[in-house]
This record gives sequence, structure tokens and C-alpha cells, in this order.
Amino acid sequence: MIGDDTVLIPAPDCFPQADVEQSPLAAGNSRPEVQIYASGLNVALNRVPKVRCVSVPVQIADVTLLPWRPNWSRVKTIRLTFPAGFEFLPPPKERQSAAGANELIPVQAPAPPPATAGDGAVPERKATRIKPPAEAISIEDRLFYLLQPPLETWLKGQELIMPFEPFPYQYEGIAWLFSQKSALLADEMGLGKTMQTITAIRLLLRAGQARRILLVCPKPLIPNWQREFKMWAEELPVVTIEWDGTRRQMLWTMPGVTILLANYELLVRDMETFGDAPPQFDLVILDEAQRIKNRDSRTATTARHVPRKRTWALTGTPIENRPEELASLYEFMEVIPPRATPDIRQLTQLAKKFILRRTKDLVMKDLPPRLDRDEYLDLAPAQRLAYDTAEKEGVVQLNELGESISIQHVFELVLRLKQITNFDPLTGESSKLERVEADMEEIAECGGKAILFSQWTRCIDWLEQRLARFNPLVYHGKVPTPKREPILKRFKEDPKSHLLMMSYATGAVGLNLQFAGYVFLFDRWWNPAIEDQAINRAHRIGQKSQVIVTRFISKDTIEERINRVLDEKRRLFAAVLGEGDATNVSLSMNASEIFGLFDLKARHGKGTRAIGPQAPAA
Amino acid sequence: MTVNGKQEQLRLGFLTAIEVPDKGFVGGLLVTNHQGRPLEFQCTVPIKANVTQEILYGPTLASFILGELIGGTLVEKAGVKPQLILTDQLQILELRNHIDRPVALVEKVPTEPASGESGPRRSIRLGRQIIQFHPAHVEDESMVSRDTKQVPADADLQEPFERVREALQETLKSGALR
Repeated sequence: MIGDDTVLIPAPDCFPQADVEQSPLAAGNSRPEVQIYASGLNVALNRVPKVRCVSVPVQIADVTLLPWRPNWSRVKTIRLTFPAGFEFLPPPKERQSAAGANELIPVQAPAPPPATAGDGAVPERKATRIKPPAEAISIEDRLFYLLQPPLETWLKGQELIMPFEPFPYQYEGIAWLFSQKSALLADEMGLGKTMQTITAIRLLLRAGQARRILLVCPKPLIPNWQREFKMWAEELPVVTIEWDGTRRQMLWTMPGVTILLANYELLVRDMETFGDAPPQFDLVILDEAQRIKNRDSRTATTARHVPRKRTWALTGTPIENRPEELASLYEFMEVIPPRATPDIRQLTQLAKKFILRRTKDLVMKDLPPRLDRDEYLDLAPAQRLAYDTAEKEGVVQLNELGESISIQHVFELVLRLKQITNFDPLTGESSKLERVEADMEEIAECGGKAILFSQWTRCIDWLEQRLARFNPLVYHGKVPTPKREPILKRFKEDPKSHLLMMSYATGAVGLNLQFAGYVFLFDRWWNPAIEDQAINRAHRIGQKSQVIVTRFISKDTIEERINRVLDEKRRLFAAVLGEGDATNVSLSMNASEIFGLFDLKARHGKGTRAIGPQAPAA
Repeated sequence: MTVNGKQEQLRLGFLTAIEVPDKGFVGGLLVTNHQGRPLEFQCTVPIKANVTQEILYGPTLASFILGELIGGTLVEKAGVKPQLILTDQLQILELRNHIDRPVALVEKVPTEPASGESGPRRSIRLGRQIIQFHPAHVEDESMVSRDTKQVPADADLQEPFERVREALQETLKSGALR
């Protein structure tokens, strides 16, 4: 063995390696000396080297990168951000029962949540999608509508609480209104224009498309709208324009008001005070928009000048007398230039784009039927005598007027004769009253309710005394507005109230009286559309039983002649809004037709000027 | 997730793609609130794989294009970030490997994992559908379980994909994606 035989084993330096204990000789020396036998044997090999481990940093040799790498170009995208909508306080969870809290009757019980099939498959359900309007050209506008959820999803128990499930046609109406900048919703009376409008308003607010809305309606319908807003969208704050001028001025301009409710008269009065700086709105809605059928009227002019982004009009009778009336509505909707006079073909084309009209026959196949019966009654003897005398004398007087005869003279005679057909003012005899009494006995006996319409408040007051045993309620223009709503409430809730007597002017529009199963038209209005509006107070959504409509026509009187003229006109009128739409064929009588009611020697009139009282302006 | 003690509204991302003949895939991401109301929509121009990508990705090309390239871009560029991304295309599930938020496949009935997947997919019921998470990210289920309670039980999670596809068609028709 050789004495000091420690040896240094050079270690590769590319990985952690045992650090070999070095001999003192090796320390600080470049190369240790190793004893070697003469035989050439290295003595160090005879002994086990001492080894301990230490860590040394890894030294990685430089890697040569490939000069090529996959290069994916950036993907281009298009982005659309939806405006933030209004967030409203949720309505109270505890709702009163609909029947007890509201005048409306449920249109339909909410459908049960869809059951999933056993295999987990989801049953198909109908979805009403919002379609982009034709005038939406930019891709952003079109996508905004396309990407909205189906209305059923949006409304039903998810984001907007609906008290009742709307009908499919109502979903379509809501979707259509939501997407229209200019729209005329002309559904037949009773199909739920109010609900569709309120729901579309909710959607617009939720979607951030509107923040300030003006709704204008006839004054008697203000409580109706208030009630319906509470019913269908109780989270929406609605402010009614009322009180004195100073307070109204404040209401018009008050910031943070979402929905303003005003009547036509106050709209006209208050807008004039604003001069060149009227308040601006995102949406203006005119209810019973036939009020602006005369484009030169102050109401129409004022409505057109309210600054707005969207315009909706609601009416069940877009044409009351002449198709040209539509032009005024179109001008308000800003779909024709000012003073434009589109012909029938153009009106029809515009109707396809901007009018949505559904009739009960089309959509309400499950609405109970309306049974119309024309009751031809003989006048009572005293009535007959009074009538014949009045007519004979009247015609003589008219003939004596000669060439100076005017339509007003004839019209006065018509009114006098019509009043006698209701009752004889001298004796109080009335064949119509006898018939109403007989029918009411039966109706009251079975707990039913009836509505009676007349042209004259005087006639209604006269009937009130004679029908007292049926606890009749009176609702006409002479009843102060604050008292009207309680009358309707009592008629609905009081089981002893069987009869509500209304004037056409006050009761024909906007009211929901679908709990009444009988309608009497004690005398006839000049325009079948107005009569239909009156009848549809009862024959509308929510009606559970058939509605029996009785039109009284006194035989061999002016009433029978007027009825013939109106029936003939109804047949002849070509509906602008579609074939077979019977409710559009509404024409008042014109001058020559009024002259034709009597056998007069001098007949004037060009046949174009409509006469008769103004359409009920509520 | 709470903001000032109030639970933050869940934002769902509905991500899908359609194939355009000769042009490749167009992807769309619709971000909605928990009730399906849209908050933001974003779509890509048509993306077509080049030869290199075809060679490199082979059978996983569709997952790369739909999940990584289209899905990744849409999520990255989204102004309103969804907390849960839902898709109706299996290949898009690959997106989960490239982002830090849960991605789930919406299916009418649970499906078996595709070959090559690392394990069984975790699934939960959401609305009227079953959603399945990426098998490599089992933690996703617990990440979303609390917020998904905001989704109504009768919500149809397939329906928003129809909206996205319709919007993609409309955008293509308009020429905005050229």
C-alpha cells in the first residue's frame, strides 16, 4: 500500500456530482501527484475513495431556437353592447287576488311550468321572437332586436312579473310594438290593446330604449289607464297630469318621471304654454287616436309637435268615416310628409307596414259568442200618434222652407222623431221601456247584469226613475269624473245592481265591463263603429258567457230608415284594412242620405258632407 | 360573489359557432344576465384553418379553431366578462384549458366523455338542461354552484344559442364580417 493515496477524480460538470474529498496536495495545485508502482499499478486504486454530495447550479448549454414559429393572425371581432335598462323595485310579493283588487278579470290562468319528459328532453314550447323592423338598417339595430329573448321567457315569471298569461296574439302584438318606431295598434275593441301597450312599454324601459314616455287618452279613460298600469306593471311609476296650471307645469318638466299620463284637453292647453321649448319624450302614445283624425284640429296639430323618438297610436276604429282619416294618423306617426294626401293604394301599403290589426273573429276563437238581435217594436198607441203628428208637421214645415232648407233643419226633425221613438214626452208611453222591463225582470232574476246605451242623457235620467226596482246606475257626461269610478265598482260588486245606463259619448270607449252579459242599444247611434265600441265594453277578453246584444228599432219610423241606410253602407264600403273587417266599415250618414230619409220636395246636399253629432268624444 | 353585501348578478356567456361554406367558422358570444337578457354580443369574422394548422393540429384542429382561437379571442375581448361560459359544441369545451373561468357544455341529456378525455365529466342541472364541465377542471362545479341558483328552474339554456346563430347569420348576410 502506498501512504497518502488520495486521488481527485475529475467529474463532469454538467450535473450534480459527488464532491470528492481532495488531498492536501491537491488543494491549490493544478494536478495531484499519484504514486505508481513500477509495475504501472496505481496505488490509489487499492482504497475506497471518500465521497460526499453537494449541489451545484445546473448549467444548461444554450439551445438554438428554430427560426420558424406558428404565427396565428389576430382574430377580428365585432361587438355590440346593449344599453342598460331601468331597474325597478320588485313589486310586493303578496299580491291581492286579481278578482278582488282589480276591475279586470283574468284573461287566462297562468300556464303550469313545462314538465320535462322522463328522458330529460325538454318539450317544445312556442316562442315569440322580436323581429327587427323593416326600417332598421344598421347591423347594430337589427342585432339589438334579434338578440332579445323570446317574450315568453322575458315575461313569464322571470324578469317581468305578469299577473296573467297573455294570449299568443298578444305576445305578437307586444313584440311588434317593441320593435316599431311608428306604430298604429288597431286591434278590435276588447282584444287588449292596453295590456299590450303597457307590456311593450315595460320592455322598452327594461331594454334601455326609453326613459320618458307620454301617454295621452280621453279624460274619462285616465282612471282606466291608472288601474291597468297598476295591474300589469305596478313597478312603473306613473304620474298623471292634473290639478292647476302651475302644478301641471311642474309635472310636465319634473325630472325622473318615467310615464306621464295626460288627457287630450290638457295636452293642447299645456303644450301651448311651453311655446318653442316643449318637453321631450322618447315615446308618445295616443290612445283613442281617432281623436286626431282631423289633421287641422288643434289636438292633431299639438300632438304632432310634441318632440319624440317613437310614436305609437292606439285605436279600435282607425277609420270612422273616411279612409283619408288615416292620413292624419300617418302624419302624426311621421310616416308620410306633412300635408301629404296618399291615395287608397298607398294607404293600404302603409297599413301593411305600420298598422297591426286583429279582429276577434281572427284571434279569439274561444271568446264566447256575441248574439245580436234587432228588435223591431211597434210604437205604443200614444207614441204612434205623437210620432205621426210630429213627422207630418215636420215635413210640412220643411217643405215650406223651400230653397232655404238646410241640413240642420232636417237633422232637427230627425232628432225629434228619434226621441219620440224612445218615449212619448206627453204620456210617457214607451214600447222600448216595456221591452227593457220585461227583459230586466228575467236578467235580475238570474243575477245577471246589463248595460243600456242611449244617445241622450235626458232619456237615461227618465229611464232611471222607471227602472228603479233594478237599482240602475247612471254613467254619463253629467256625472262628475271623481264619481264615475265608484259607479263602475258598485256595478261590478253590488249583486243588487243589475243595470248600468250609459251615454254613447261617455261609456262607449275604454271601459272594461266584461262581467255584463247583456247590452241594450235603446236608440241607435249614427255610426255602427261607435255602436260596436259600446257593445265591446261587455264583449271582450275576460267575458265568460255569451253576450246578448239587443238593438231596438221602432217599426215604420225614422229608426228603421236609418238602419237600412247604415246597413247598405256597411256592405258597400271597401275596407282599407282588409277584406271582411266588418268593424271598419263605419260611415256616418252624409247630407244627401239625411235628406233622403224624408219625402221632401227640395233635396239638397252634394252627398259628401257628413252630418250628425260629433263622434263620442268621451 | 357579492358587491356591497349584495349578490352580484350572474352573467352567462353563450358561445357557439357556425360553419360557413368555403370560409370557415364564425363564432359568437352572447353575454346575458341570469334571466337571458342580453348585455353584450360579440362575433368573429370567419376563421379558416391554414395548412400549417391542419398539419400541426390534425384531429384536434376543430377544438383548436373553435375553442382556443375563436372562443379564446371572444372571451378575451369581451367587455362584459361572463362568470360561466356555456356552449352547445363539444369542441368548444377545449376553451377551458386556455382561460381561467368555467366552461360547460349544455346538453339535453348527459353524454359520455369523448375518447381522449381524462375522466368523466362532472354535470349539474341548470335551468331545464344538464351542463357538463371539462373533465380536467372538476373544481368548476363548485365554483359556479352558488351563483347558478340565480338561474330560474324553467330557463331554457338551449334557446340563447338559437339567438346567437340567428345573429351570426344576420351579420354574415349584412356583409359586416367581410
